[in-house]
Amino acid sequence: MPNDPAIGSRWSYTKRGYAVTQSIRQLRERSLATLMTLIVLGTTLALPAVFWFGSSSLSTLIKSSVGEESITVYLDMSIPDLQGAELAQQWETQSGVRATLYVSRREALALFQQQNDLDDAITALGGNPLPGAVVVFPAIDTANDPLSVELVEALANRFATMAEVERVQIDLEWVRKLQSALTLFRIVVSMLAVFLTLTGFLVIGNTVRLELLRRHREMQVSTLLGASRSFLNRPILYTGTLYGLLGGSIAAVIATITYSFIKTPADQLAAQYASTFRLALPSGGQFLTIIAVATALGLLGALMTVLKPQQANITNR
Amino acid sequence: MIGFNRVSLAYHSGQFALEDVTFTLKPGSFTFLTGHSGAGKSSLLRLIARLEKPSSGDIIVGDLRYSSLKARQEPKLRRQMGIVFQDNQLLYDRNVFDNVALPLIISGYRFKDVKTRAMAALERVGLGERYAENPIVLSGGEQQRVGIARAVVARPKLLLADEPTGNLDAGISEEIMKLLLQFNASGVSVLFATHDQDLLTNYRFPQLVLEGGRLASDPNASMANPARRATRGSANA
Repeated sequence: MPNDPAIGSRWSYTKRGYAVTQSIRQLRERSLATLMTLIVLGTTLALPAVFWFGSSSLSTLIKSSVGEESITVYLDMSIPDLQGAELAQQWETQSGVRATLYVSRREALALFQQQNDLDDAITALGGNPLPGAVVVFPAIDTANDPLSVELVEALANRFATMAEVERVQIDLEWVRKLQSALTLFRIVVSMLAVFLTLTGFLVIGNTVRLELLRRHREMQVSTLLGASRSFLNRPILYTGTLYGLLGGSIAAVIATITYSFIKTPADQLAAQYASTFRLALPSGGQFLTIIAVATALGLLGALMTVLKPQQANITNR
Repeated sequence: MIGFNRVSLAYHSGQFALEDVTFTLKPGSFTFLTGHSGAGKSSLLRLIARLEKPSSGDIIVGDLRYSSLKARQEPKLRRQMGIVFQDNQLLYDRNVFDNVALPLIISGYRFKDVKTRAMAALERVGLGERYAENPIVLSGGEQQRVGIARAVVARPKLLLADEPTGNLDAGISEEIMKLLLQFNASGVSVLFATHDQDLLTNYRFPQLVLEGGRLASDPNASMANPARRATRGSANA
């Protein structure tokens, strides 16, 4: 019987091959029901995936922005450029300061004119209205240190009390506000993700339970023929894993498509605020992570089903 | 080979399916297990297959004492015996070959052996040509022969047959009986549960007779009866 279609492949007659073959066959035999279950799983898991992509992009924006955190210390108008430059040099040696940059009154004016196209107004004022400023870069890992906000503020307060200083401005205040908003967003999204993931888990668990009932006869016969628990459970575990794998793949595709729809308007919005920030499409690693998590979810759902005592007794009836 | 020592099996209600049953069957024997419906025949077979556990007493099969048998040893025990059912318990979602191959897959045989043994078992029951068909298209007798092929494919030492001819007409019952006799002749012990009076009359093998869960015959005396060879000869004649 060489290559007899009535006899499966060599692998399908091994214990593991048999389990995989049976699982795939069961899914194929009820293709419509399988497809619907996979779509339910895919859409359920896609939403947390989209949130995760968005959260990752915003985190990247915040990290890269906060990493360049600086304090602009505006000097009193009476301070001449030479003294201002000396102050900048002195402050560079202070604790908590990584570097300083003195911006003279003339440089400040040139920058202002360059950015704001207000030549006429400045001319009308009849002189340079801008003070000299020292840009202070804190020696703090602002991107990773959770206490960086307090430390930067303490540094700013220290400069604010100095006689030569007119005003102090922390340059990336908006990023801090965004960071706070993102923290809240993450909590809400995490809770939502937990609920949706739990839903996915229950969908898989219930599907596998129905599968177990459908295979009752096969399991009963196999038990009589001397099948071990692992032999009986293996096809069920593979079915759960397959549901997770396929559902996760669908979720990753749906999430990527959804995300690409969001990307264009989000990029346009960022451009309107003169930001160079652009939403990055999900990386291969993120894509695979979603599939891996969903697969693990499928396996766990199936495990939960086969380890339930009433299911374990199914073969003893 | 099979020993029951004061074995009882009680339901939760307290009613006994089997009560104080003691007997011994020798290796290579052919024994009828008989009695009316509800006498406890299937319960006795389920006890041997370790699908039930006795309420009291002990069972020995081969060198295994059931009272000291661990749950994880039970599948291995079942792999050493073949079971034939009245309703044949075939799986209709696969072809005849795959039904017969299942015990070999469970036991972890190599593909080459699976193919050789499954085909040999099917040839032996006269269904070698029909391996690719779904069992549902086969007649009742043919399906039962597939069930027998599946029961013997892994070459068990013991064959338990639970009314395998119960749903078949006399001619086909005779065929099934002859098949079981062939396997017995090759050294397989057979315990054949039936209440088919024709078979019991035509084949005068030792009988375990159950009545209301109790053993009504003296099987050891019956086992000692040397008439077996002569009986088979006359039945085949």
